[in-house]
Amino acid sequence: MISDARVVLACVGLHPERSAALVERFGSADAVVAALGAGRISAPPQLREAASVTAGEWRRRLSAARCTILGSDDSGYPSWLSALPGAPDAIFVKGSVPELPGVAVVGTRTPTAYGLRLAEHFGAALSVAGWPVVSGLARGIDAAAHRGGLYGPTPGAAVLGSGIDLWYPAGNRRLGEDLLDAGGAIVSEYPPGIRPEPWRFPLRNRIISGLAVAVVVVEARSDGGALITARYGLEQGREVLALPGDIDRETSVGCNLLIRDGALPVLGADDLVEALSLLTSAPPPAGGDTDTDPVVRLAGPVGRPLDWMATALGWPISDLLTRVTQLELQGRVRRHADLVVATCVNAEASQGGDQGAP
Amino acid sequence: MFAAVTSATLVGVEPRPVLVEVHVGGHVPALRLVGLPDTAVREAKDRVQAALQSSGFHMPDRRVTVNLAPADLPKAGSAYDLPIALGLIAASGEAPPAVADVVALGELALDGTVRSARGGMAAAVVAARSGRPCLLPPALVAEGSLVKGADTRAVTSLAEAVAVALGAPSSSSASRPALAEEPPDPPDLAVVRGQATARRALEVAAAGGHHLLMWGPPGSGKTLLARCLPGLVPMLSPDAAVEVAQVWSAAGRSDSPRKYPPFRAPHHTATVAALVGGGSGIITPGEVSLAHRGVLFLDELGEFPTNLLDALRQPVEEGWVIVARSGRSVLFPADVQLVAATNPCPCGFEGDRAVACRCRPAGVERYRRRLSGPLLDRFDLRVAVNRPDSSALSGPGGETSADVRMRVMAARRLQEERGSLNRSLDRRRLDALPWHPAGVTLLERAVERSALSGRGFDRVRRVARTLADLTTSEVATEAHIAEALSFRESW
Repeated sequence: MISDARVVLACVGLHPERSAALVERFGSADAVVAALGAGRISAPPQLREAASVTAGEWRRRLSAARCTILGSDDSGYPSWLSALPGAPDAIFVKGSVPELPGVAVVGTRTPTAYGLRLAEHFGAALSVAGWPVVSGLARGIDAAAHRGGLYGPTPGAAVLGSGIDLWYPAGNRRLGEDLLDAGGAIVSEYPPGIRPEPWRFPLRNRIISGLAVAVVVVEARSDGGALITARYGLEQGREVLALPGDIDRETSVGCNLLIRDGALPVLGADDLVEALSLLTSAPPPAGGDTDTDPVVRLAGPVGRPLDWMATALGWPISDLLTRVTQLELQGRVRRHADLVVATCVNAEASQGGDQGAP
Repeated sequence: MFAAVTSATLVGVEPRPVLVEVHVGGHVPALRLVGLPDTAVREAKDRVQAALQSSGFHMPDRRVTVNLAPADLPKAGSAYDLPIALGLIAASGEAPPAVADVVALGELALDGTVRSARGGMAAAVVAARSGRPCLLPPALVAEGSLVKGADTRAVTSLAEAVAVALGAPSSSSASRPALAEEPPDPPDLAVVRGQATARRALEVAAAGGHHLLMWGPPGSGKTLLARCLPGLVPMLSPDAAVEVAQVWSAAGRSDSPRKYPPFRAPHHTATVAALVGGGSGIITPGEVSLAHRGVLFLDELGEFPTNLLDALRQPVEEGWVIVARSGRSVLFPADVQLVAATNPCPCGFEGDRAVACRCRPAGVERYRRRLSGPLLDRFDLRVAVNRPDSSALSGPGGETSADVRMRVMAARRLQEERGSLNRSLDRRRLDALPWHPAGVTLLERAVERSALSGRGFDRVRRVARTLADLTTSEVATEAHIAEALSFRESW
């Protein structure tokens, strides 16, 4: 059980590295909190004020924000994270932390359609295969990966770079809430009320890679934040994988550099799931993804154009359009312009069953 | 010493008689022109004097007053040269008074030749109402003869006009000037290879009159598909052809009678006046009216400035447009079927299989948001068009336009029995139509999955009704609803 002083120290919101250094210098969290309150540590006044609030009051505020605090020695704190040097002494959690290590799917906030499509596809495939998807709930690749993760039974976790009670960017609030509703988790080492300052995000990335067995970089620039996650992953002994892209496309330069330096190229969702099961001890499969519908099978995970499918099936186009809409509403395929893409089987589809084949 | 010749002008597309009164009297030689003339009408004085002399008539050595009545109606253009000249000849007694008992319209060359002008159709309508013969330049006889009961006669010169007015047969036959627009037949759908989905959308658009939005990379054939549309809908009825000719005549575009509905494709750099009508002096119809009873095609919809799209909204919704200019306003018909094509993103290649899109999603989002809003809501049908693969390009062509039109006509007949095109079905009438319960369930499911908005709900039902009409089905079934849903796609 996490001690009162550690709760207060976590809730003060010091720079994580400084906080760890102070605990080392003063010997214990109690001593650091006392020194902060007494003004023996230079800190902004609001931090000193925060240090004088009691642990009971902090616990009340946390439950008001509907989140819990987990100390690194608590049973709910993922052991694969706490074992790492530099792991946060305490994390704030909404929802339930995955019981298994996940797979981090990360990338740029300004992706191309290629990256977005595949991030979502990988998210879905991982989740269906039983891997929780871990990412940062940022715009772009992160959001797409989380959205994909919602398809399967293990939706995963989002690690924030702001206080646990803030949604940043605000546009992803809905996605975050969907993630919680689906049984996933929102995680942050920052207490409620902490603004999303730029320096907090790179540090946050060590938790993303820490919660995962592997880091998949979908799209990244040569100086992208996703490369920081990959580097943390390497330091933590995680596998690093990257999606190859055009060599002259700036959003793929970071990924291609990773591959040159030894990251495993990802050649597809199936390839990714297979590689993970070879590289790591695979989690128990969470259910098959063999859809028997001819349209879904023909579309496949990469997608096929409507016109091509009509010819291949020998169906009138109107019959195909009818069928595709029905499958779409069952969540078994998606449309992207004139492409039909098979989505992985998800809980809803198996509940909804097959309603009205033509 | 007075004579009056009837001529005509247009208020919008409405023909109005103009009485050209000529009075010869007083002793100081002069020629005065009154009755709200514009510059071109004022200059008629000089043209008429020269044409009279060239044709062997004399200009009276008296004070001549020409009045264009009613005086409060603005007159523009050179169309009153011929009636002024005939009135002068009658008033000065150079020919019997019967020479003024005609409806005449046309510009005069200095040598007395009669040239084409604007409003031949209006003159023919006025002539038909008054029972007088209608003298027109040869180029305008084609549009004039569309008017029932009009006795139109082609005259090539002032001398011939006088002779014809006095009862001589017209020696010149109606001819179309070399530069008149011969409306080309729309391309046949058979030339379109592959594109099964887009062809289907086009057929549904033709059958229900739905506005159609096509989006896809450059070179995917959106424009060709749009151009095929006039060949898929029923040909113009004689009445509709007259309506169309009236608008075109008002725009000064004489035109041979057309079989196919007009197809207009204004460029995105057009002005608001060019698009919906306007102009100083006489208000002329814009592209949206020239496309009356036909297709208005907006290529590169994403490039159209917002003010143009806003200006189009009301005409497209109501089927007419009122153009107001300093104290006057005229109504033009604008019953158009809107077809728009756009790139999916700024670079144009989002979704293309051969060329990678280099746009950021935020940029794509911004590009699409520009198009959102009330006008976009009018598009019942949205279809993604992509470049067909090589096997489809080398394969056989598809069905011909004539085959598709057969099915379209059958569907249109069912709509006529119900009283309106499916495009204009509102929520109340949609609710009154029979829907299969399974289809309703499917619609509700789509709304639940937020694949459909409230307005989208009605759009899908309108298209589903057309799909049912294409299969001559009384009830719109689940399959019709599902197929209609597939055309809602993302924009």
